[in-house]
Amino acid sequence: MTIKFKINGRTIDPTNVDMEMPLLWFLRETQKLKGTKFGCGIGQCGACTVHIDGEAVRSCTIPLASLNGKDIRTIEGLAKSDNDLHPVQQAWIEIDTPQCGYCQSGQIMAAAALLAKNKNPTDEEIDKSMTNICRCASYTRIRKAVHQAAKFYEA
Amino acid sequence: MQRSTISRRHFLKSSFLSGAWVLSLNLPMAAQAKTKQPSTTGWSLYVRVHKNNQVTMESPVMEMGQFMRTTGPMMFAEEMDLDWQSITFIRDTRLHLKRDDEGKIDFRYVKANTGGSHSVRWTWEYLRKAGAAARQMLIQEASEKLGVPIEELSTTRNTVVHSKTGRTITYGDLAEGASQRQINESQITLKNKNAFSIIGTDKRNIDLKDIVTGKPLFGIDAEYPNCKQAVIARAPAIGAQIASYDKKAALAVPGVQQVVEMSSQEETHWFNGNVQILAAGIAVVADNLWAAMKGKAALNATWKNTHDAAKENSEERIKKFYDLVTDDSPAERSKDVGNVDEAFSNADFTVERIYEKPLHAHALMEPFNCIADIRDDSATIITGHQNPKAIAEEAEKYAGIDALKVEVISKRMGGGFGRRYERDFVREAILLSKKIAQPVKVTWMREDEIERGMHDPACVARVKAGVKDGKITSWFYRQAQTKAGIQDSCFPEGLFENFRVERCSNETFIPAGPWRGPQHPAWAFANESMIDEIAYKLDKDPLEFRLDLLLPARELPYTNWGATIKDSGRMAICFQEAAKMADWKRKRPKGRGIGIAGHVCHGSYAAFVIEVSVIDERLQLHEAWGAIDCGLAINPNHIRSQMEGGFIDGLNAALFNKVKVEDGKVTNNQFGLLRMGKLEDAPIEVHTTIISNDHEPTGVGEPPTAPAAAALANAIFAASGKRLYRQPFAESFQV
Repeated sequence: MTIKFKINGRTIDPTNVDMEMPLLWFLRETQKLKGTKFGCGIGQCGACTVHIDGEAVRSCTIPLASLNGKDIRTIEGLAKSDNDLHPVQQAWIEIDTPQCGYCQSGQIMAAAALLAKNKNPTDEEIDKSMTNICRCASYTRIRKAVHQAAKFYEA
Repeated sequence: MQRSTISRRHFLKSSFLSGAWVLSLNLPMAAQAKTKQPSTTGWSLYVRVHKNNQVTMESPVMEMGQFMRTTGPMMFAEEMDLDWQSITFIRDTRLHLKRDDEGKIDFRYVKANTGGSHSVRWTWEYLRKAGAAARQMLIQEASEKLGVPIEELSTTRNTVVHSKTGRTITYGDLAEGASQRQINESQITLKNKNAFSIIGTDKRNIDLKDIVTGKPLFGIDAEYPNCKQAVIARAPAIGAQIASYDKKAALAVPGVQQVVEMSSQEETHWFNGNVQILAAGIAVVADNLWAAMKGKAALNATWKNTHDAAKENSEERIKKFYDLVTDDSPAERSKDVGNVDEAFSNADFTVERIYEKPLHAHALMEPFNCIADIRDDSATIITGHQNPKAIAEEAEKYAGIDALKVEVISKRMGGGFGRRYERDFVREAILLSKKIAQPVKVTWMREDEIERGMHDPACVARVKAGVKDGKITSWFYRQAQTKAGIQDSCFPEGLFENFRVERCSNETFIPAGPWRGPQHPAWAFANESMIDEIAYKLDKDPLEFRLDLLLPARELPYTNWGATIKDSGRMAICFQEAAKMADWKRKRPKGRGIGIAGHVCHGSYAAFVIEVSVIDERLQLHEAWGAIDCGLAINPNHIRSQMEGGFIDGLNAALFNKVKVEDGKVTNNQFGLLRMGKLEDAPIEVHTTIISNDHEPTGVGEPPTAPAAAALANAIFAASGKRLYRQPFAESFQV
C-alpha cells in the first residue's frame, strides 16, 4: 500500500512504516514534530489535536492508512513564520493562557479550527466546540483567548 | 580590592565559560547559619552576561504550571537590576548536588524542588541575594574602571550609571572583569521593597512562545542518543503478579528487541506508610515507541493476585468509614481543647453531619516518562520531576551510581500536582536501563497513570457543632480515611472554646500521595459547609457569621506543615474582599445563589464566592470571585492564573473526580470514565483580588483549591435549598 499526504505543506510519502500506526505517533516519533501531544491515546482529551483538511481531529485515533491525499497541519505549521504567528497563537500569548502548557497545542489547534468556521463565536459556541481537557483548568483564559483571537482576525 | 578580607567560608566565586560570564555563588544560607550547621553548604545560580549586554539565565526550579520558571528569575533579576527583556532563558535545568558532612545528598545551591506551595519561600532569599551579589560585583568593577567611588554608582537595566558625570557602562562591558571579583556576603544589601521594579509587576510566562508554537519542552519530547523505547505492561491491581504472557508474540512485532520482567516493590512511603510503589510488569523494549506499544498489546498478559490488597474495594471502605466516624471506638485524638462533651450538653442545639470525599486521581495531562542511561560508574537521567534530587538518590540506591555522578536534566512537566514528587516512574527506568545495559526511555500509557495513582485519600468526616446563645461553643471533627492525616490546624481550629479532632485508623492498601493541598480540600469541605449550615440555622448572613468568628484579628498557633501561625484577620480580609467583588448583598433571582468558603494553608489565605443556578435539577456554574493573601505579590498575573486554575481544579474535583477501586484495581482508568472537567463545566470568569501587604511571600499553587468544594456546596444550597454532603456533586445534580 502506498499513500501520500501533506504535513504542513510538505508532501510525505511514508515508506517502511506500519500503516496501522496512528498519525500522532508518526508525527512525534517519525517526523519528530513533538508539539502534538500524547494524552490518552483514545481521543478523549484532545492533546493530540491537528487539522486534517481544515478540521480539528484527534490524531491518536487516525491510522496512517486513512490519510491518503489528506492535508495535515500541526501546531508547528500553524504560524506563517516565527515572527508572524497565527492569530490564535498571538491571542494565547496576549492572554498568557497556559499553565503547565501540555494541552495547549491541542487547545490552540481546536480554537483555530473553530475560528476558521465561526469568526466570532459566543461563549456557548466555544464551550460546545472545544472539549479538550486542561487539568490545570486554564479554562477561563482559554475562553478569553478565543475571543481575543476573534478580534485579531478582524484586525 | 577586598580580597584580603575574605574568609574562606564566605566567598563568592566566578569563572569564565564559553565566552560568557558565569556567576556561581557559594555563600552559606542565613537559615543554616542560624541553626549553626556547617557552612560548607552553598548556594548558587547561573547567570551569563554577554558582551552585547544580553543575558542568559537558567531558571533553577522547573516548571509544572506553577510559574516558578518565571517567578524565580524575577526575584534574581530584580536585585541584579536586569532589563527583563534582555534575558533569554535556558529551557532545561541541570541538577547540582553535594554531599554534606554526614554523607547525605543535598542541593548544592538553591533548593530546586517544587511542592507544598513552597518554591517561592525556598528561593526568595537565595535568589535575591544571588542577584544582589552579582550587581555588587559589577558595581565594584565599574568603580575601578571609571575611577569613582562605589557610593556614587547606581544600576538600572544592565547598566551602571555614574549620575554625577552622566557616564554609563554596560554590564556586558563589565562582566569579564567583574567575574574575577570575590565579595563578602556582608557587602550585599537587598533592595527596599519600594524600589522594586520587576517584583510586583505583571510578567508573562517566559516560555509562552515556545508553548504556543509547540516546541519540545517536556520530558515526553526528549530524545537521547541510541535510546531504546520501552512500554511496560503493569499489573493493574495492587499486589498482583504476572500469571502469563506471550513473549514470542511480542518479540515477533517488528522493532521489538527484548521482553523483560519487572518486579513489584513495596516500601515505606514518606507520605503514608507501607505502599506498593512498583507494580509487577513486563517491559517491552523496542527501537521505537509504536513497536513497544504493539509489543505490549501482543503480550496478552494475565495476572494473578494473592495479596490481601486483592480484596480492596473503595466503596466498601467508604461504607466502613461511615461506621467508624459514627461509633465511639477509640481513635487518635489530635486536638482536644476545653471540654467538648460538657459544652455539647450545655448547648441550645447541636448539629451533626457526615461529609464524604472520594479518592481523587491526579490525572496529569503528560503521562510519565523517563530516560535513563545507567553506565558503569555514572548515569544520565532526563525527566520532569518535582524533586530532582530524588532522581539522583534513586540512581544511587538502585543502580549503585554515586549520586554526584548522576547527570539529571529536568524537563518541563505536563502537570505535577504532587504526583511528580513520587519516584516510581524514575525507578522503573533506572532498573530497566541497568538490566538491559542500554539507555532507555520508559513511557507510560494513560491507563497506567490512573491505575498506578497515588490518589488523594478518600475520607469521611463527622462534624458535630454545639451552639449556645447564637454562638458556636463546641466543635467535634472525627474522620476516617484510606490513608494519611488531617489538616486539623486550619480554621476553624482556634476559633472555638471547645474543640476536638479524632482520626480513626483504618489501614488500607489503596495508595495515597500528595494531591494539590494534601487533605486540605477534605477539611475545608466539611468545616466550611458546617459553618455555613449553622449560619443559616441561626438566620445569620454566612459572611457576617464568619467575620464574627474571625474578628477581632488575632494570631493563632498553626501546627500543620507550612506555617507556624495563622492570622484570623488576614483570613477575614479575604472573605470581605471576595464578598465585595461578588456584590454579596445583592439578591439573586430564584434558582440562583451564591456561596462562600475560605481556607488557610501553606501560609496563604484564600476565600471564594461562587454563583450557581439550579434549575430543574440542572446545576450551572456562572461566575466566581476570589481573594488571596499570599504576602508580597511577586507576579500578580500568575497569582491570578493560579487562583483561576486552582479554584476550578477544586470545583472539578468536587464535581467529578472519583476514583473507584474494585478487587484492588482502579476501574475508571480513563479520562472519560473518570470524567474530567471541561470548558463547558468551568465558570465563565474567576475574578481575583490580591491582598497587598508586606508579609513575606507565600505560595499560591495549593491555597485556591481547598475552598472550592465548600463554596460550591454552599452556593448550591443558596440556589436550591439542597445541601450536599457527598462528593462527587455530579451524582446529585445534572451537570
